[in-house]
Amino acid sequence: MIWTVRLAAGFKNLPVVREATLEVKAGEFVAVIGPNASGKTTLLKTLASLLKPLTGVVYLDSTPLSRMRRNEIAKSIGVVLTEQPAPGRLKVFELVALGRYPHTGPLGRLSERDREETMRVLSDVGVSHLAGRLFSELSDGQKQKVLIARALAQNPRVLMLDEPVTFLDPRARVEVLLTLRKICRERRVAVIASLHEIELALRLADRLIVVANGSVESYAPPEEFVEQGGPRALYGMSDGSCFNPDLMSIELRSLPSRGPVFVVAGGGTGAPLYRMLSRQEYQIITGVLHKGDIDYSVASALGATVIWEEPFTPIRPQTIEEALEKARTAFAAIYTSPPIGPTNSANQRLAGLLALRGIPLIVLGKGQVEGAWSRIRTLGEVSQALEELENAILERERVVEP
Amino acid sequence: MALGLIALLMALFTLSILVGGGSLSLTDAFAALLGSSSPENNTIVQSIRLPRALASLLCGAALGVSGAILQTLFRNPLADPYVLGISSGSSLALGVSILLGVTLGWWGPYNPYSLYLSAFVGALAVMVLMISISGLVRSITTILVVGVMVGYVAYAATSILQTLVEIERLRIFVYWTLGSFSGARWSLLAPSLPLLAACLALSAVIAKPLDALLLGEDYARSMGMRLGAARLGLVALASMGVALVTTVAGPVGFVGLCAPYLARQLSKTSSHRLVIPYAMLMGSILVVSADLASRLVIRPLELPITAVTSLFGAPLVIYLLLRGRSVLG
Repeated sequence: MIWTVRLAAGFKNLPVVREATLEVKAGEFVAVIGPNASGKTTLLKTLASLLKPLTGVVYLDSTPLSRMRRNEIAKSIGVVLTEQPAPGRLKVFELVALGRYPHTGPLGRLSERDREETMRVLSDVGVSHLAGRLFSELSDGQKQKVLIARALAQNPRVLMLDEPVTFLDPRARVEVLLTLRKICRERRVAVIASLHEIELALRLADRLIVVANGSVESYAPPEEFVEQGGPRALYGMSDGSCFNPDLMSIELRSLPSRGPVFVVAGGGTGAPLYRMLSRQEYQIITGVLHKGDIDYSVASALGATVIWEEPFTPIRPQTIEEALEKARTAFAAIYTSPPIGPTNSANQRLAGLLALRGIPLIVLGKGQVEGAWSRIRTLGEVSQALEELENAILERERVVEP
Repeated sequence: MALGLIALLMALFTLSILVGGGSLSLTDAFAALLGSSSPENNTIVQSIRLPRALASLLCGAALGVSGAILQTLFRNPLADPYVLGISSGSSLALGVSILLGVTLGWWGPYNPYSLYLSAFVGALAVMVLMISISGLVRSITTILVVGVMVGYVAYAATSILQTLVEIERLRIFVYWTLGSFSGARWSLLAPSLPLLAACLALSAVIAKPLDALLLGEDYARSMGMRLGAARLGLVALASMGVALVTTVAGPVGFVGLCAPYLARQLSKTSSHRLVIPYAMLMGSILVVSADLASRLVIRPLELPITAVTSLFGAPLVIYLLLRGRSVLG
């Protein structure tokens, strides 16, 4: 429906994006992602005909936008910009009715149909109850919905939004995005939104447009982008913090400064503990995990040393040996009481062996292991116990030294 | 509300005809208005007071509309033809016309049309300058200071012109620079009536683009507005209003600022469908009462009208600056 051929966009002959050849279909939800200042806004404004293309053409169906009158474009493309307008004492209904601009006569008088349309978009977006309120008195989330309603009042086939949820709280963020998806599906409107929230973008969009280093690539479905390792390249940070493709979210790493801790986990029981230990700068060694387990995914993303087995295969004795070997430097071991079945029963034995070799074993939860140093229930208690152990070691060294 | 304001305006208008510097009694004045008093009294009321009252009413409305347009174009409640130096630019152009006899048209320098044209060109030039500056500088305080400076430059240029010319031309010109409706005569007012009719017709179609501009220029364009054409039309209309006022009465300060502010307060909206007529009404009420006050306070002498309008205008500027919200609310 809206498509471009070798589009270059920018200001004053300085192209910000080049060679953008894109196509967006009716009823498609498109997320535009990319680092700050990569040209997302420039691209959107050019698609909406608010900026002239430097070269190339933007087509709406078979007509180039440059051949259409502003009024016609306004009947096809509605926009929500980043900057929130401050229209003074304008009521929500009045502001949304402004969207009827391309449909009203020179006096701007609203016909019965214009009023009905305005009320309809207000209810589509779920803000009918705000119609009589002053726009300036609304919350940011409500304002954003009202601005979406205003754009819809133009009765467009394409809705373009520049960072529509950046300044919203998490709940409003999801609400606004779900509203957009509903509109997209029900009205068969193509929605093109630039987002900073890559996690949400990947979950929501039918198509992903990635703007980086002047180039524009399109991925449909967005999972293709993840499979090609795109997010890692796009959002890879210098300290190794990175995008976890299994969970489609970002894991933060920190540089380990405290002694290694061995974690016996599995079945998702380790993930929260890994994040806490990583944050507290403990070096993490963990095993034996099956590939595909969330614990495996989170631990690897955090940069832990992982001893692993192929999925659904029993843990082999030599893997247990390897785990014991790697655990030798650990000053403490933690058993997270994973559910035990035929493929991972060896982990219970591994915990017992660690205790037997003199590594203080903390049992988190209800797991049954011989020789546990302490049994506790919460993550907070784990961090206390680890500090106790560290202090004990320091004390011992001070006694030995003189 | 609107009806009350119209009644107030009509009362003030009548008062402006009946009361004046001379020692005419109310009954005499009323009789003279109907043409049944002495020939001398008839002349005073019909040829001096009536055009004067009408001029103050029309100029007030023109200032109200010009101010409302400027405030939305500049997206700031402090924009006003006087503050932004537009009135001064208009006066300078008038000075060039009257003092140097340089005109833009084919009429003589004292021809009303020639005066209108000069005043219009002067206002338009400063307005275009200020809009270009506001495109470069975002801070409204900077723009206001620049506007005041442009006003000073125009004022300085006008003063230099004054020293250059003979005393007779100077005497005529000083009439304008002081700012007073005492010079309003039918001969000056009559040519403005077709212009005013055109302005009124245009005021009906500016509400739609002005409302769109409340959301900012990008939004306005995305709604189908042709920004260049709309801005040109609005600036031309505002300049016509300022030119009318400067020609008839000289610079009149702060009415263009106060009238739209009061209009938004009274109509409780920023929608120009209401703001424009209310701003006209408030502008007329302010100017007619200021003109009355300028005549009555130290009778039989007269105060310059800006001396009166500044008394309520300048404090409002200070209040709006202190409130610090650059919102048209």
